[in-house]
Amino acid sequence: MLIFSVFKTLTDQQVTVELKNDLSITGVLKSVDQFLNIRLDAIKVLDETRHPHMMAVKNCFIRGSVVRYVQLPAEHVDTQLLEDATRREAANQGKR
Amino acid sequence: MSSLQGYVDRRVLLILQDGRAIAGVLVGFDQKSNVVLSDSIERVYSMEEGVEEIPLGLYLVKGDMIVLIGEIDDAVDTAVDLSTIHAEPLPAIRY
Amino acid sequence: MDPSSTGIQEPFDLIRLSLSERVFVKLRGDREITGVLHAYDGHMNLILSDVEETIMIVDVADGASEDQGTVKVAKRKMDMLFVRGDGVILVSPPSRA
Repeated sequence: MLIFSVFKTLTDQQVTVELKNDLSITGVLKSVDQFLNIRLDAIKVLDETRHPHMMAVKNCFIRGSVVRYVQLPAEHVDTQLLEDATRREAANQGKR
Repeated sequence: MSSLQGYVDRRVLLILQDGRAIAGVLVGFDQKSNVVLSDSIERVYSMEEGVEEIPLGLYLVKGDMIVLIGEIDDAVDTAVDLSTIHAEPLPAIRY
Repeated sequence: MDPSSTGIQEPFDLIRLSLSERVFVKLRGDREITGVLHAYDGHMNLILSDVEETIMIVDVADGASEDQGTVKVAKRKMDMLFVRGDGVILVSPPSRA
């Protein structure tokens, strides 16, 4: 839930999603759901000459399960807030 | 999962776990991102020849097999002569 | 050491106490990263900053046995990174040297 919330705060920011098939896609984050499936707009595939498969694709839905990394815009991530929220969530988990 | 709603009735490109690429019209989907494609065509990429297109027809693809679904910009797509495109097939997902 | 004095009783406590510290993470696919840990969840999804990734690429020549391959190491840096938990093998807290 915490990570889902973080992604929601990054809506409309530029991110780079690296998939488990080594494809990297940069685009504007349009939406995310509880599975961390991701919608990207204005996408650009890294090393497009090697991967022309998505030439005509401008926006896409990426299945959360195939994501390896997402590079986030550091200036839009409040790390102090993240750590506090993580401690809070960990404490709640313990109570359950 | 509202994320696929905007793609219904649009031409989309499916990338599958094994690296295959399938283009077709998205006619439906569900919670688990299982999808139904009509008029689907597999695009087979190779370095030796241009892209080979294999008609598949009506397909139901299990959500677990899907890596990515992209909306095809028809203007760009029709402007590309696929027979001139030489590329390695996309790698399969590992683990 | 008495577990009650360190505050570590279960595995995730070790990760919680590493928040805002530099950690070492071993990942599937012969990858390792170090970075400052800012968030995690029960799936071991992580958010790290100031990340350095090391990828081991083993080149096995045709006909050679597996242990004869040469290992290339690729490194890259990233400012802020989300790591999906299903690729995580281990998280190691900072060394207290």
